[in-house]
Amino acid sequence: MVRPPMPLLKGTLDILILRTLSWGPAHGYAISRWIRQTTRDELSIEEGALYPALRRLEARGVVEATWKTTDSGREAKVYRLTSSGHQELKQELSGWNRYVAAMTRVIETRPTEALA
Amino acid sequence: MRKDEELPLSRQLPLDEDVRRELAHHLAEREKELMAAGLSPTEAAAEARRSFGDMTEVTEECREITREYRKAKRRAESVESWRQDLVLAWRLLRKSPGFTLAAVLTLALGIGANAAIFSVVNGTLLTPLPYDHPEQLVDLNERHQTGWGNVPTGNLVDWRAQSHSFVGMAQYGRGYRTTLTNQGALSAWNSTVSSEFFGLFGVKPVRGRLPTPEEYEAGSADVAVVSYDFWRVQLGAPTDLSTQRIRTNKDYQVIGVLPRGFEYPLDTEVWTPLKFSEVTMNRTAHNFSSVGRLRPGVSVAEANKELDQITARMATIDGPNFDATGAMVTTLQDRLTQGTKAPLFLLLGASGLLLLAACTNLASSMLARGMTRRQEIAVRIALGAGRLRIVRQLFTESLLLALLGTMAGLGVALVALKLFDQVAPASIRLTEVHLDGWVLLFTALVGISTTVLVGLIPALRISGVAPGVAMRAGQRAGFGKRERRIWNALVVTEVALALALLSGSALLIRSFGQVLKVDPGFRVDSLLTVTIALPTSVYDSDARIEAIWTRTLASIRAIPGVQEAALSSAAPFGSDNSHGSFGIEGVPPGPAGYGPGNAGYRMVSEQYFHTMGIPVISGREFDDRDNASGAGTIVVNQALVRAFFDGKDPVGQRIILESRMDNSPEVYLTVIGVVGDVHHNSMTGPMGPETYVPLHQRPSRGYTVTLLLHTAVTPGTLITPVRNALREMAPDMVPTFATMGERIARSQTDRRFTMVILSVFAAIALGLAGVGIYGVVSFTVAQRTREMGIRLALGASPDQVRALTQLGAMRTVGIGIALGVVAALVTTRVMATMLYQVSSADPIAFGGATGLLVLVAWIASRLPAARVARLNPMLTIRAE
Repeated sequence: MVRPPMPLLKGTLDILILRTLSWGPAHGYAISRWIRQTTRDELSIEEGALYPALRRLEARGVVEATWKTTDSGREAKVYRLTSSGHQELKQELSGWNRYVAAMTRVIETRPTEALA
Repeated sequence: MRKDEELPLSRQLPLDEDVRRELAHHLAEREKELMAAGLSPTEAAAEARRSFGDMTEVTEECREITREYRKAKRRAESVESWRQDLVLAWRLLRKSPGFTLAAVLTLALGIGANAAIFSVVNGTLLTPLPYDHPEQLVDLNERHQTGWGNVPTGNLVDWRAQSHSFVGMAQYGRGYRTTLTNQGALSAWNSTVSSEFFGLFGVKPVRGRLPTPEEYEAGSADVAVVSYDFWRVQLGAPTDLSTQRIRTNKDYQVIGVLPRGFEYPLDTEVWTPLKFSEVTMNRTAHNFSSVGRLRPGVSVAEANKELDQITARMATIDGPNFDATGAMVTTLQDRLTQGTKAPLFLLLGASGLLLLAACTNLASSMLARGMTRRQEIAVRIALGAGRLRIVRQLFTESLLLALLGTMAGLGVALVALKLFDQVAPASIRLTEVHLDGWVLLFTALVGISTTVLVGLIPALRISGVAPGVAMRAGQRAGFGKRERRIWNALVVTEVALALALLSGSALLIRSFGQVLKVDPGFRVDSLLTVTIALPTSVYDSDARIEAIWTRTLASIRAIPGVQEAALSSAAPFGSDNSHGSFGIEGVPPGPAGYGPGNAGYRMVSEQYFHTMGIPVISGREFDDRDNASGAGTIVVNQALVRAFFDGKDPVGQRIILESRMDNSPEVYLTVIGVVGDVHHNSMTGPMGPETYVPLHQRPSRGYTVTLLLHTAVTPGTLITPVRNALREMAPDMVPTFATMGERIARSQTDRRFTMVILSVFAAIALGLAGVGIYGVVSFTVAQRTREMGIRLALGASPDQVRALTQLGAMRTVGIGIALGVVAALVTTRVMATMLYQVSSADPIAFGGATGLLVLVAWIASRLPAARVARLNPMLTIRAE
């Protein structure tokens, strides 16, 4: 049975994009496909939302874009991380990891005596 | 392939296209993937769109983000490129400090001179007087047969009653008096003003009150108002005025303080009411100055015409005892600046010429710099720099230079204004002069537009050159015929401008020399003058005045170093220039019923002529015989004898003084002597008729006198002993000391001011011309080194080579001088009224100016030319 996809936590799309680009330059569709495939459709992302996010990252100087001819002979706008993008990703990831760890600790820790 | 797809990929796509293509690419890829998974093309298209979301919204959002981003990026890039230009310009200027320093200095002098003179013109001529509606305030005078002067009160009353052009008219008189306050004694300008005066100026007291109408009536209490500074400094800023009293000729109660800055007429500190009923209604007594306020909308000419008509009517009614022929209405501003207008505009024009000279100089040095940079620029063009980019770079350089020059120019202006303080005449209200926003704006505009224009001409010429040509030419710092012609034209201009300024300055110097040569008719050296105004509230009778002066003269004469001493009510080059009409016994009066004569009126002590060194031509000078009990006596001068006695010796004849300024009985006075003529006010004016009456018969004229000391030592050294002697005599006397030389010099400050400033301008222009010539010749020499080397190698003597180089430069200078002489002959004509006994085409002045310029040009061209003569022929030929 197909479970309905989960909505994306606010602000996490940027992390997904940056992490994807950290494997190498990619155009918008490639980023979208990679996220879709690696999440196994568990996250509900409107594909269109990716593009404004990419352009915001470009305006912030975190990624830069150039038009390139791809292997298939088509022209595509290819994004790549800038050095400040790498920095940002590092910070975002450590933030995210701390967030997840904290969540996990609360969820998994069983109290040894009554709380009240 | 569409045309725009051929764009290099690094270039930006147009915004809409950028978004459209990116999203289209996404959809196409998605469809392809879906079809590969087995969907039909229609299903794939539908599914791709569905999973994408709202296409329109995403497109719009993307456009918005990228539009903002691109705008910000463009802005940052342009700021960055300007910054780069500026940094480059700064580096280039620093790399040639000689050029930069010379250019900045040149600009600074040109701009500084303009800013300083413009400040003075602005403060003196363009700034309205600090009164309510100053354009309506007019100075009123009446014309008579021989000139113009104060309006008699009787006539002013009629003018006021019959005219419709005026809101009001007032009279005032001003005098420098010993003024006693509760705090002590000082000398101050006191003015007595009629009841309309304060209302006319719209002045309101900041403390206390103005006199009431009753206080302008005879018999009322004596009250005074004081200036803000007088209240603050002399009275000690008291809050309660009721205990403050001022004693001059009367004992006044202080009732009010005027606002800061009101000090009309000139420097007045104490104002007292002019009691109307005590004023003579005589129609020929020109005792008080008059001022009026025009009704709004009435012009000066209209008002003048109306007063002329009223005056003509008055003449028919008042008959023979009336000397006015018309009115003279002038705006107060024009009257106050009448002496300074012409010299200031002359200096403004001269500073303009100076700026032009500075710009010309700058243009030639920038042209030279441009030539040497030709190769650099050619390389940059060849490497792909756009023309516009190159022009912009040169523009930035000029702009930077202009900013530096303008800033330095302001510094020069500030220093210049400080120096003006030393030489400026009192009529230039330097307190009103400061570098305000307008001056700053004016200066910045002049400086920047100048440099940028001058800087862009070579820039456009250079950047128009084809790179290949320029690079090849650049190997030898190309200097074409056209550049040479432009350059020569610039040198010609510099020389011509310098000559015009030099000639003007030479004319003023010559003229000043003529003025200094004038014999005033009395001794100037070893004469000390001491002006004293008695507080008349203390010295309230003729007997007291006579006694104090008799004692004073005796004690002064006893001071070692004093050869002779005398006094006069109106010593030359002071503020008193009283005149009056007189009749001659047995001679019918003039057509107006009085006269026929009019002459200066001076009360003097015994030994006056001897002390002053004025020769007695006939008869004798005053002595003990001319006392109160003796018959009335008078001394006249030669000019009076010539004018009214046909040059025949008048000794023994009798004269009657008609407008008696000293309340003495109207009696005939016997002429006992004839003395030499003197310049009373100005060395350049005519020596007019004078009458002298003795102290002991006219002591009431002795409130304000000038003691005159003929000294055996340097006059200045006697100031302290005289001051001590006077203090011992009467502690309430406040003497003002000046040597006669200083008094005369003071009357010439206008002339000296114009001369000094114009000479400074001329000197700067001369220096600029010298630098310009030096620059051109140096560059020519650098260029023709090889040619000169060959000439030397072929046997030309160093002297010949040098002469050849210098000759070319001097030929250009010659053309400049010829043009300059023509220009100067035309422009110096406007100076004719400022010159004294020198023609505006004076050959000595022009010859001197030309000679000086030729000398400077010769030296300036000789220095670099001499370098040629020292060349080693072999080295120079090999060098290329």
